Amino acid sequence: MDLTALSRHVSESVGAEHVLNDPADCARYALCGATPNLVVTPGSIGEMSQVIAAAMSANAIVIPWGGGTRQAQGYSLTTDSEGQRPVLVARTNRLTRVVEHEPADLTIKVETGMTATAFDALVRPHGQMLPIDAPLPDHTTLGGMIAAAVAGPRRLGYGTLRDLLLGVTVVEASGRVSKAGGTVVKNVSGYDMMKLYLGSYGTLAIIVEASFKLIPRPRASATVWCAFESHTAAFDLIDVLHSSQLTPVAAEYLAQAGGVDVLGRLVNGCTMPYAVAVRAEGLPAAVERHLRDIPQFATAAGAVDAQILRDAAHDLLWARIADLPQTMEATSDEMVMRLSCLPSELARALQDAATIAERRDLPLLIDAHALSGVAYLRVSGANEALQFWHREMLARWPRLIVLAAPAAISDDLALWGSDPVGLNLMQRIKREFDPRDILNPGRFVV
Amino acid sequence: MDRAQLSEELRRIVGPRSVVDNPDALMTYDSDGCVMDLHDPHIVVLPSATEQVAAVVKLAARAGVPVVPRGAGTGLSGGATPMHGGIVITTSRMNKILEFDARNERVRVQPGVINFELSQYLNQYGYQFAADPSSQKACTIGGNIANNSGGPHCIKYGVTGSHVLGLQVVLADGSVIWTGDGTPDAPGYDLTGMLVGSEGTLALVTEAWLKATRLAESTRVVMALFDDIAGTAATVSAVIAGGFLPAALEVMDRLAIKAVNDAYKMGLPESAGAALIIEVDGVDDGLDELLAEIVEICHRHGAIEVRPARTAAEQTQVWAARKNAFGAMGRLAPTYYLVDTVVPRTRLPYMMEQVQLISQTFNLPIANVFHAGDGNLHPIVLFDRRDPDQLHRAHEAVTQVMKLSIEQGGVISGEHGIGMEKQDYMPLLFNDDDLGAMAAVHESFDPTDLINPGKIFPRKQPGHNLAMQRRAKVNLGDEEENEFDKATRVIKAQGDNVWI
Repeated sequence: MDLTALSRHVSESVGAEHVLNDPADCARYALCGATPNLVVTPGSIGEMSQVIAAAMSANAIVIPWGGGTRQAQGYSLTTDSEGQRPVLVARTNRLTRVVEHEPADLTIKVETGMTATAFDALVRPHGQMLPIDAPLPDHTTLGGMIAAAVAGPRRLGYGTLRDLLLGVTVVEASGRVSKAGGTVVKNVSGYDMMKLYLGSYGTLAIIVEASFKLIPRPRASATVWCAFESHTAAFDLIDVLHSSQLTPVAAEYLAQAGGVDVLGRLVNGCTMPYAVAVRAEGLPAAVERHLRDIPQFATAAGAVDAQILRDAAHDLLWARIADLPQTMEATSDEMVMRLSCLPSELARALQDAATIAERRDLPLLIDAHALSGVAYLRVSGANEALQFWHREMLARWPRLIVLAAPAAISDDLALWGSDPVGLNLMQRIKREFDPRDILNPGRFVV
Repeated sequence: MDRAQLSEELRRIVGPRSVVDNPDALMTYDSDGCVMDLHDPHIVVLPSATEQVAAVVKLAARAGVPVVPRGAGTGLSGGATPMHGGIVITTSRMNKILEFDARNERVRVQPGVINFELSQYLNQYGYQFAADPSSQKACTIGGNIANNSGGPHCIKYGVTGSHVLGLQVVLADGSVIWTGDGTPDAPGYDLTGMLVGSEGTLALVTEAWLKATRLAESTRVVMALFDDIAGTAATVSAVIAGGFLPAALEVMDRLAIKAVNDAYKMGLPESAGAALIIEVDGVDDGLDELLAEIVEICHRHGAIEVRPARTAAEQTQVWAARKNAFGAMGRLAPTYYLVDTVVPRTRLPYMMEQVQLISQTFNLPIANVFHAGDGNLHPIVLFDRRDPDQLHRAHEAVTQVMKLSIEQGGVISGEHGIGMEKQDYMPLLFNDDDLGAMAAVHESFDPTDLINPGKIFPRKQPGHNLAMQRRAKVNLGDEEENEFDKATRVIKAQGDNVWI
């Protein structure tokens, strides 16, 4: 099947109005400057299955596409030597149905083209939430969150999708549809396939339906915002939080030379270069306890300011923090990275990041889930300086992945950090699931 | 390689005192807690180090003999039963807690460590291992990992999988890898996540980094007594729907209360039809008010009495009653069959009614002790296996519970696993394509079916067969392409619902 036949075939499957084949129209979906040949938006799981089956018959490359917020991540597609393989973008945006939702069960099953915002609007009236804090929630889809294993500040209190994803339906590289898990909160009926698809970046299958465990919305929620003059003092507070009996749901370390102004303007007169934002949620009395104890801890650690934020200020602060790792609107000289390490190593890693940035005078913004060992780093500057920074950091911190980088240097960086252990095994899994290398070939570590 | 040669080689690897091949002794290893189908192993080894396990696996691969991992043998789905004989590798001598790293809240252990002993060890530092299956005084961490075990507190703290950070495993070719060390978000597929709950069919766990969970500042426990089990089920549904986040919600019915009293002199009120154990924990502030609200819900749903367990000793006693319930069943009947299914939590009251009906239909008493907060049922069918008719009725009753659970949107195992007990029920829940995806994972790890063969996948469709069928469907030559197009047309003609 050639491109023309494939185009005709998928148009018959999903309706011509849901297929783009004009290069001008397809350009919006370009990856690393390469424009796909077809952009298809199936309206049902059955249609998605037909499209992918047809793509496989045509030996096409398929890029699964949700909100497109994380497509800057990964290497360029591997194509064949002649560059003859058609490239098809398979969008999930019309897959937005609610499949099952019995609010009293605190579980839900939905199609995954739904955005995080739409999902929240669905469960919020029932006093429920999925506390993942995805960046750009108006664009980010549930499928994209699963594929990229998105996790945010509140992973400290509620865990990640690893703990909340109960079941999936996927369209595999052959077009075959399979499901795993269920819509119950505890399940060991067969292998835990959810773990396989979670964080597989669209290389094994297209996730089209998902069931989640929902969390009751807390009765109270508030923030203690602590500003510091020094990195060390900020981490002193983090250490105290770690050894206390308190149960904050998020503890973010923020750093920006010249003042954390991305967020600081939300907080009266904050011009300090370091801040720790601690979020407490739950029973009103428990939240008040946090608001009482944490400012004391902060003062003892040397904070120059500790403010309590509630209601709109609290909500806005956390929405801004959630967006900090976004890459959809990264500037052309900007590199965005995620560093992970053991929590005990984080202070040292972030000190390294700052020291290396200073050497080339690179502006650096850090947002770290300080008790979880995860940090998002944004650094901008000339390509050579960015490469220097990345090389120096990667040599010290092997779990440094690039979420976005200027196109000119992107493919030369070790975008996924150092090779994972068990890579052979992962490659065998990829071959079993996608023997013809249809799905996102070459982009991921596997 | 004959048995004598195999035995000699194994003695060389693990030492002569760590090999069991006396036929009488081998019978001890013919099953775990699931005694439906017994198979003696050819030989049992008790390694004490990872390198020994790796050498045994390499030898087994060379000899073409299966290996079957075994912890304490408390499993309830036959996961440790050597279906095709072979070498049972038991972890009882790999029982050391190797390292506790408080700053990173992680602990490194060998797989033979007993769950309860790990928590006792962590308690002294103010931590616990949060997964606490009822068998925790006997079961091992390796078994917990294999089965992704739950326990009363996983409603709040999550199942074993949420507490495993990384695994050292011996793969089917005898190579050894670490899948993680507690550093979050490693790129690549989540091998740790795949291995947890794989019931020892993908690789052998030889060490693990586990998450240590901080003990809560305060805990409150109450036991609410009801006239019947329906009241407890309705209360549980209301507590969940109300958005409370209890640390445990456990139910015992009249038969279970009686058994526990008979066996352990617990002094629980036998006039009550059912007891609901409720635990809340967290920072001290607000806990009393939270508990008061939950107690109010209990009263609204017909609780006849609510007994607080005020002291730590009283709380321990309540939990001892709950966790010893299965052991006490021997007081009621010579044999019991413990069923493990899960339904959405709103379906609990209906399921409890149905379990009563099933008990009447098959004329067998059924006790209930279960993790109500998770919707995880454990009907315990009481019978005498020496009576073929009772045995038959017990099987029928169990099948009925599974079918009903699926019908209500549930699944066939919440925490005990599939093993060989439920392998033939898997097609009730999954079609060939669903099973095929699981088989593809199996094929990636263990293509020669060396490790714990004959489990999880239906007897008529072993994993390897499913994986080969699946491959045949993908690797289509040009001449087969038409067939694929034909299949696509059929799919299209049948519409969307065919897949779902």
